[in-house]
Amino acid sequence: MADTAPASELVTLEVDGRSVEVAPGSLVWDACERAGVFVPVYCAHKKLEPVAVCRMCLVEVQGMPKLQPACATRVSPGMVVRTATEQVRKFRDSNLEFLLLNHPLDCPVCDRGGECDLQDFTQRYGPGQSRQSITEKVHFNKAVPLSDKIILDQERCILCWRCVRYYEEITGEREIVLQERGVHTLVDTFEHQPLRSEFQGNLPEICPVGALTHAKYRFRARPWDLRRTASICSHCSYGCSVFVDAREDQVARYASSDNPDVDDSWLCDRGRYSFPELNRKDRVLSPEAATAGGRQVVSYQDALGRAAGQLLRVGSDNGGEAIGVIGSDLMTNEEAFLLQWLARDIIGTPHLGHRLLPAPEISPLDFELGIAEIEECDQVVVLGPLPEQLAPVLTLRLFKAGTKRARKILRVEAPFTVAAIRKQVIGEGRVGVVAAESDREAALKLRTALTGAGRRCEVLTLMERVNSRGCQDLGLLPGWLPGYRRAPSPGMELPDILEAAIAGRIKALLVVNPGPDLEADPRLEAALKGAEVTVVVAAFPGVASRNATVLLPGRTIVEKAGTVTNAEGRVQRVRTAVEPKFAFPSDLKILGDLARAMGGELGAQPLAGPVYDLLARAVPAYRGAQAGLRPRWEATA
Amino acid sequence: MSDRDGAVPAADLDPAVVARIRELRTLYPLARSAVLPALWAVQDRIGYLPAWSEEVVGRELGLLPADVAAVASFYSMYFGRPVGRHVIQVCQNVSCALRGADDLLDHLRGWLGVDGEGESPDGAFSLEGTVECLGACGGGPMMQVDRYSYESLTPERAEAILTEIRETNPEGPVGG
Repeated sequence: MADTAPASELVTLEVDGRSVEVAPGSLVWDACERAGVFVPVYCAHKKLEPVAVCRMCLVEVQGMPKLQPACATRVSPGMVVRTATEQVRKFRDSNLEFLLLNHPLDCPVCDRGGECDLQDFTQRYGPGQSRQSITEKVHFNKAVPLSDKIILDQERCILCWRCVRYYEEITGEREIVLQERGVHTLVDTFEHQPLRSEFQGNLPEICPVGALTHAKYRFRARPWDLRRTASICSHCSYGCSVFVDAREDQVARYASSDNPDVDDSWLCDRGRYSFPELNRKDRVLSPEAATAGGRQVVSYQDALGRAAGQLLRVGSDNGGEAIGVIGSDLMTNEEAFLLQWLARDIIGTPHLGHRLLPAPEISPLDFELGIAEIEECDQVVVLGPLPEQLAPVLTLRLFKAGTKRARKILRVEAPFTVAAIRKQVIGEGRVGVVAAESDREAALKLRTALTGAGRRCEVLTLMERVNSRGCQDLGLLPGWLPGYRRAPSPGMELPDILEAAIAGRIKALLVVNPGPDLEADPRLEAALKGAEVTVVVAAFPGVASRNATVLLPGRTIVEKAGTVTNAEGRVQRVRTAVEPKFAFPSDLKILGDLARAMGGELGAQPLAGPVYDLLARAVPAYRGAQAGLRPRWEATA
Repeated sequence: MSDRDGAVPAADLDPAVVARIRELRTLYPLARSAVLPALWAVQDRIGYLPAWSEEVVGRELGLLPADVAAVASFYSMYFGRPVGRHVIQVCQNVSCALRGADDLLDHLRGWLGVDGEGESPDGAFSLEGTVECLGACGGGPMMQVDRYSYESLTPERAEAILTEIRETNPEGPVGG
């Protein structure tokens, strides 16, 4: 806060003898943080309004007769705050004794043990002993399922209201309330109805104790057994920051990691609980090849040699155009860039793609509007329910814009006719149009229609998968080269490649990281059977792997390193959170090795960093963007 | 909240009660402010608050039933289940406790023939066991019977008050 206000407007105060400057209206809690003084809190939360019910943050403020809650007291000039006094120390000790009065002290069997604020603050500030005997404690229900995702332990709850306020302020769904009074107060839903929210998974994270727990994480791991890796949620094109918490070679959970520009620290349940798919036991574990004696496990070098030999043979016999190259939007930017290079420059085919939905027209105007900029728009037009279905966390951003920022949110229904929508958009200022990519055309028409007369209109289109945007940016498409340059002689779209293979006009297919929609398409099997040569890199067994003449084991998104680009064009890092069960090279290296075996020279190591440098040379907008930035396309267009 | 039954079905709610709730809504700038009187309107009519009545109040006031339930469960004068003709609440908070509220409660249990809490065998009284502060700390120990408070009680005085209520108001609650 203080960073953005001009120096003349800052409020100067003293915290534990240190002078600090903060913006007017800041809380004493913020000032303490700025002074580097830790204040324990339970009810306070950076994303929620203060309520000051837990009393944990009480501090001395000179001139005030009683201790004041740091989380709810606004700063004033010359204020003198003390947190390290005997009065505060005694108060914290007593407050914790109260909070623990009826607490079951079942830390040894609590999921939260090891990352619990109640445990930590008791260690640091609390009494070593309780005067309440175990037998006198008031008991509540344990392991109450609030839904199939969330389990509540009513005994562990310290009544901080965070879950109630989360539902009030962040999602607006108000599914949880505090019922009863006094010592009998408990968190519950109306008549024990199950929670229906799509954002329940955030509850255990904002719960400061072990009261709200994930059904999918219950008794699965101890925090100290987990290896935490900062990465990106692989579920959709929104690109929420996550921590991948892995126990040995399994993903134990996704935890949110606050990226104010994208997720604002909230995840949707679809994304958060998508990780079990990545723990699937059935994997492609070794290179295989179809030989005269049937399908055989072969060495990596053997498989590579066969793949290169077979593709070269088809190329020399029938020309590069007889080869189709199929990637997917589960690939990283580096892989996508390398694959389109391999297709165009080494194999020599224009027939490449990564998605069944053709993309005849694309441009950086599809994502001119940033996710966080939605809050800055005076009016936001949302075209139908699809955008929020594709990226559920978008709903929370729209809610925040509508409530905390008082922006006008217009959810309009199809058909999206300019005339009807224009009537509803009134006045000047900034207008955002949020659409699914299938409604891209309507969105861009609106952009043209709404621009002018003191109005500026920008579009954000939501896409299907984690790197759908990156694969477009980097030209893994028949009609588009990297950086939104039209291909001089466009190749076939992916469905046509499949048809051509079925008809025998495409003789070889290179399939990398086949996505679930491709795997589910009935044309894939016929196409693979129709082609003489099928080189497949796949993580999971399926239609593609079964029909491969050469098969190489691929990696899942949590086993990869590189970058992906979200719907708004932000380039973000994914990091290897789990080591694969095999010792074969990464998908990126496979592509680099294959290119080399076919006589191509990449001019860089096939590693994420060097390949990123290469692609940033081809797409200057990407220069330096891998730190989590949105490339500035208008500067390069 | 768990032992609520469907003794009174939603369809039987007097339309006058709904009309009253709608009228109450107009008396306050915020709909939330009308929750307490709206709940009174229902309870005065049917004696307690079935879960469906919280949905009705929520619907009429534009609130979620959970919000209404949170309010109803907070206050000890709203009942989530059917109760006897007269409801006795004995305050157990600190001022009353220091002045003998525990003994008073034990005595009344014996006198009424109630084990813990619930209805007396003759159906005249419902004893609500442990009730938090009822706002008469200056006159502890105290009890509330229906809508009246009785302060500075002794077991004998409490017996006399209840005997009189049973005889003078056999039909229903006292006060209003």
